[in-house]
Amino acid sequence: MSGQGMNLTLRVWRQAGSEDKGEFRFYQLNNVSEHMSFLEMLDVLNERLIKLGEEPVAFDHDCREGICGMCSLMINGQAHGPDNETTTCQLHMRRFRDGDTITIEPWRAKAFPIIRDLVVDRTSFDRVISAGGYVSVNAGNAPDANCLPVPKQDQEKAMDAAACIGCGACVAACKNASAMLFTSAKVSQMAVLPQGKPERARRVLNMVAQMDEEGFGSCTNTSECEAACPAGISVDNIARLNREYLKAVVFSDEGV
Amino acid sequence: MNWLRCALSSSVGKKFLMAITGLALCGFLVVHLAGNLLLFAGAEAYNAYAHKLHDNEDLLHVAETGLALIFFTHLYLAFKLSAENRIARGRGYAESQSKRENLISKVRPETWMLVTGLGLLAYMLLHLADFTLEFRDTSHYEGLEPFDKAVSLLTDPISVVGYLAGFAFLFAHLSHGISSAFQSLGLNHPKYNAVIKWGGLGFALALALGNASLVFWAQGQ
Repeated sequence: MSGQGMNLTLRVWRQAGSEDKGEFRFYQLNNVSEHMSFLEMLDVLNERLIKLGEEPVAFDHDCREGICGMCSLMINGQAHGPDNETTTCQLHMRRFRDGDTITIEPWRAKAFPIIRDLVVDRTSFDRVISAGGYVSVNAGNAPDANCLPVPKQDQEKAMDAAACIGCGACVAACKNASAMLFTSAKVSQMAVLPQGKPERARRVLNMVAQMDEEGFGSCTNTSECEAACPAGISVDNIARLNREYLKAVVFSDEGV
Repeated sequence: MNWLRCALSSSVGKKFLMAITGLALCGFLVVHLAGNLLLFAGAEAYNAYAHKLHDNEDLLHVAETGLALIFFTHLYLAFKLSAENRIARGRGYAESQSKRENLISKVRPETWMLVTGLGLLAYMLLHLADFTLEFRDTSHYEGLEPFDKAVSLLTDPISVVGYLAGFAFLFAHLSHGISSAFQSLGLNHPKYNAVIKWGGLGFALALALGNASLVFWAQGQ
């Protein structure tokens, strides 16, 4: 670290617990290095708060290298901050200017209740996955390589959809708090592969039903999710989910 | 038929119905505008069309009932989905900014669908009050042929302003509505995505300008 750092005003959402009303609190943070990541900046804030005998700001994080999907944060009204295809942990303070006021809010959705401060409960995503986001395979010997041909384009589509890290930025950025991008990515990664075909109808019906039950909104095709997604998941997956759903309703034996 | 009820009451199913009814209403608008463009062909052609249409009173009632059903489904779902979506968000953000790039305009019609839809509804009520229900002062076109009635109504100052505003709402609503409907129906493919996007926008513009042209034309009559 060299030279004079930035002086920032942080406007942070503080909420002692799920039942607490919550409010914004302002913190002045001086001499912030532009080389810090956003979460490191919050670490510095928390160390200072602890020294002062105040409660540190609770926020989710784990790998800090953009792959685990634990970090979140609405930064100045943008999920994971201003950069595209970047998680909060990969966002650096050089994106901000000396004297800036930064507003930090938790994801806001009925299906993501706030646990404390900036930490929200995203287990609703886990329940959507449990409803059908898997392939049932009997254990046994590994099959011969290449006995199940998969065209390269399909591999790529599945891989692109599987890039989803389940962080919930799509829900946070959507004006309807819809989880369609997440659910569609999880449906797509299996629907385009032969291993996922046998359960595809049941999968899409159950996952959509669970998504609705969790209280997520519905998709109005604003594409805000795609722009906010740190993994670059495309809304093409949402169209694929819609097709899968239509096919499952009209042609499959599910729900007879 | 439990499976059908289940499917249509799911979030995806409701968006499906929204898309189908929306596109059906667009179909009606095309036919309606095509008929009205006969105003350009002169009084004789327009009157013949209007009389022919109203000769089949029974058939017209069936068509109107169907149209009303489609319309009210679209309207009901609009309110229901908006209410559900508001609940799904819960407490909103203090600050919110789009991360989308290459936006055509800062004003994003996709975030104003309920408002533009309500604007369209207001226009439609005025339009029905004028032509079908004849709620407003009818003295200046009493006993006139359809062509003259249309010209008389289209030169009424309230109608001129209300209709042009309505067509602006129509453009805003459809500029997102058409492509959104295709996406909701799962019709998305790199081969024809551009056609849907720009075609939808062009269709919205053509409908709005086509309708507006009738209002401007009437001022010169």
